[in-house]
Amino acid sequence: MNTQPNGERLHALDAVRSFALLLGVAFHASMSFLPGIPKGMWAMSDNSPSAFLGDAGFVAHSFRMTLFFFIAGYFARLLHGKLGTAGFWANRGKRIAVPMIVGWPLLFVAIIFVWGLGMQKVFNGAPPAPPEMSKELGALPLFHLWFLYQLLWLYAGALGVRAVVAALDKQQVLRGLIDRAVTGSVRWGAAVLLLGLPLVACLLTTPMWFPWLGIPTPDQSLVPQLPATVGFGTAFAFGWLVHRVSGALAAITARWLPHLVLAIIASATCLYILKTQPPFGMPDGPKTAFALAFGVSVWAWVFAITGLALRFLSGHSAVRRYVADASYWIYLAHLPLVMALQVWVGDWPLHWGVKYPFVVLTSLALLLLSYHWLVRSTVIGKVLNGRAYPRRAAVVPVEVPADDEVVASLCGVSKRYGKLEALSSVDLQLRRGELLALLGPNGAGKSTAISLWLGLHDADAGIVKLLGGSPQEIARRQGLGVMMQDVELPKDLKVHELVALSASYYAQPLSVKDALDRAGITALASRPYGKLSGGQKRQVQFAIAICGRPRVLFLDEPTVGLDIQARELMWANIRALLRDGCSILLTTHYLEEAEALATRVAVLGKGQVIASGSVAEMRALVSRRHIRCETTVAANEVRGWPGVVDVSTDQAQLHIVATDAEAVVRHLLSADPQLSRLEVKQAGLNDAFNALTQEAA
Amino acid sequence: MTTLTQPLPIAASQHAASPYAVEIRLELLRLIRSPAFALPMFVLPVALYLLFAFAVAGEQAAKDPDAARFMFAGFSLMAVTMAAVFATCPSIALERELGLLTLKRAQPAPPGAWLTAKIVAGVVTGAIAYLPILIVTAVSGQAMLSAGQLAAMSAVLIAGAIPFCALGLMVGALASGTAAPAYAHLLYLPGLYLSGVFFPLPKSMHFQAPFWPQFHLNQLVFAAGDVTKFRWISPEMAFAVVLGFTVLCSGIAMWRLSRRG
Repeated sequence: MNTQPNGERLHALDAVRSFALLLGVAFHASMSFLPGIPKGMWAMSDNSPSAFLGDAGFVAHSFRMTLFFFIAGYFARLLHGKLGTAGFWANRGKRIAVPMIVGWPLLFVAIIFVWGLGMQKVFNGAPPAPPEMSKELGALPLFHLWFLYQLLWLYAGALGVRAVVAALDKQQVLRGLIDRAVTGSVRWGAAVLLLGLPLVACLLTTPMWFPWLGIPTPDQSLVPQLPATVGFGTAFAFGWLVHRVSGALAAITARWLPHLVLAIIASATCLYILKTQPPFGMPDGPKTAFALAFGVSVWAWVFAITGLALRFLSGHSAVRRYVADASYWIYLAHLPLVMALQVWVGDWPLHWGVKYPFVVLTSLALLLLSYHWLVRSTVIGKVLNGRAYPRRAAVVPVEVPADDEVVASLCGVSKRYGKLEALSSVDLQLRRGELLALLGPNGAGKSTAISLWLGLHDADAGIVKLLGGSPQEIARRQGLGVMMQDVELPKDLKVHELVALSASYYAQPLSVKDALDRAGITALASRPYGKLSGGQKRQVQFAIAICGRPRVLFLDEPTVGLDIQARELMWANIRALLRDGCSILLTTHYLEEAEALATRVAVLGKGQVIASGSVAEMRALVSRRHIRCETTVAANEVRGWPGVVDVSTDQAQLHIVATDAEAVVRHLLSADPQLSRLEVKQAGLNDAFNALTQEAA
Repeated sequence: MTTLTQPLPIAASQHAASPYAVEIRLELLRLIRSPAFALPMFVLPVALYLLFAFAVAGEQAAKDPDAARFMFAGFSLMAVTMAAVFATCPSIALERELGLLTLKRAQPAPPGAWLTAKIVAGVVTGAIAYLPILIVTAVSGQAMLSAGQLAAMSAVLIAGAIPFCALGLMVGALASGTAAPAYAHLLYLPGLYLSGVFFPLPKSMHFQAPFWPQFHLNQLVFAAGDVTKFRWISPEMAFAVVLGFTVLCSGIAMWRLSRRG
């Protein structure tokens, strides 16, 4: 539901709503620690009361539900725009009415039970008779589910008003005026001062108003209560109007700091009056001052928190998304659990500073666990959050679009380890179906590049992509296989067991038999890993790398320690994988390996790409050739000729490295017509590599 | 090599086992196959129990069921918790050091599977080590415990492996592969003696017993079995301490393991 017109989720507002709900859990957890709360008003009265929790609880409670209804109004208009009136009611029925009707009886039983236990403790085994149920029309203890009930009324009211306005204001004149008023009032500070006024008027005329509790909680009756309807109705309506105007959220975002300062001042004023005046029967003067400060504080907090969230929490965060999804369930289910913990710890001889965190953290931990195991992927989650997450979301393979030719890339990537710059703005691409050989001396940054692609580290700058997304996402890693350099597998496990374990991580793995077959180690299947030779261990690691049918394979020096036969076999395996369309990144010290396998070569030196291209291109980059011959010409003489880079002799042979081989050969032949066994050879990758890395150094 | 170019059937592996199940099974197999772990962990506690409860102090234990209960609770606690610490700590430290953890992070392994396997293996090996002691106690009848009492004490004992798995996790996450077993001994063994679960402590040593998690678990075991002697603090307090200890240790371990590199 919570999306902007452009389809982006409103992460910040989701976060605000879950904050308001979780704040409710913290508030209810503080109730048993409130100093001076009469026995029997709450399920427990703790033996270690806290003035601090009393004050913090007052502030939190003053705005938390107004904040919730403000966000609810915003999302209500968003949802109505998306689903239409009928769809809106169907959705709200499922998400709001069903949880309320199903949840209430369960909560009723649980709360009454816990409350009973608490009364036994509070009154030392002799609790007074429970008060009789009110016989007034509509009287019903709604507990904390009252907010769902109130919400349904507000939906009905909002849609009613909307219908009337739409009928009367056909030219959109009125609505245009309202829109401008909304943005202007936020921008110029009128909203924060004026929105509370209807509530203030209501509160001051409410008989028996108890200022500490702020807006009297409408949890005792099905008949809508005036102060709550006015207070929360204003919030809901303003949220609805803010959604109408595009600039309103930006105005709230920009003013988070002044709103926060105002909120703190207004709440401090309220607390000062509460501390200096009697709690019941406050004289009219201070009462009016309190109510006005209260009205301002409520809206200042609402705008400050919304603005803070929009300013700092707009991005996507998997953790916040999870908590936001969980918060509805947590709030619905928390009350009996919180009360039970309060009752349990109430007579422990410990300070509230220990007990309160214990109550909050334990209840949140249990509620999150229950969410994860009972709600998130079940029908309850579907009802509450509109979708049930699959339990193993990770196994959904991410399909790379067919036209995406680059399967892994580093784009302007830098990475430092302390003072050492391992990579500095490196651009590298691994294309579909190719084998890219990454060469470079030790410490050139090859392993760092691989570890970024594997999601083991975060880049300091630049973008790392694997199969079209971030390698941190486990779903992307479903498509990769990896053979690392320094890994020792558990020595007591057998080869087939190790392969089976890795295969179990993938959605569509090869069977263990096939994986062993491909790596050519079927004979080793039942051998303990610790009993294998170094080369055999590398073969097992290769089997582990390919067992998940990877689309991208990272091979970090795969043939170290292999005998010639095993190396030939692995080369053949690598070629077969390439034929099957697998893309491979290979690092190696054996240049003949790169020459034999690579489609492209990239040379890293000192954290930068020094050169990249096909094997032939790389060779051509350094146009050196080797000349060998048996001659009488002295090495020192040759050294002075143009085009000669290096000269050496072994036995009778002269060995010349030259950039212009033809000229040198002509020169040689004219100097020594008796010259024999002449041999001219194109330089190998080895020379190119040495030349390049020396230049870099 | 001909197999390489042929498309391979997927069907055989469609209903592959859950990585959690495979990881747990292999972790257990690994521990049971490793003689350096299995022999001392599974044999030592029951051997010591037989030696002390039936040979050395057999006479007293036969006369006084409370003495027999004390020894049953003490050696059971040793069996469960020692296995839990040493099933988790050295292997975690070693596998971190050998790069196995890095490999698992690079593979699409579910992040919790490895850790879950360690904890389950710790609890299960604890239960295996404890089982012979339970059988001996039930058969001898020396401790005069009903089946219900034994069942309740067993449940608490086996659940009591979890805080010690957390201790193992923490040490394994902090120490190097070679140092981890030494640190684990250093943190775990003194508590076994100084908490007074093996022999009644002299009065002068009472003050320090509550600093050891073994003491609190022991208190919970007696509370579960409804044994009235040897009870020093309320079970609620003991539970709160054990819970806090578990949260602290596993919190440090998670913090350490989640920091990459």
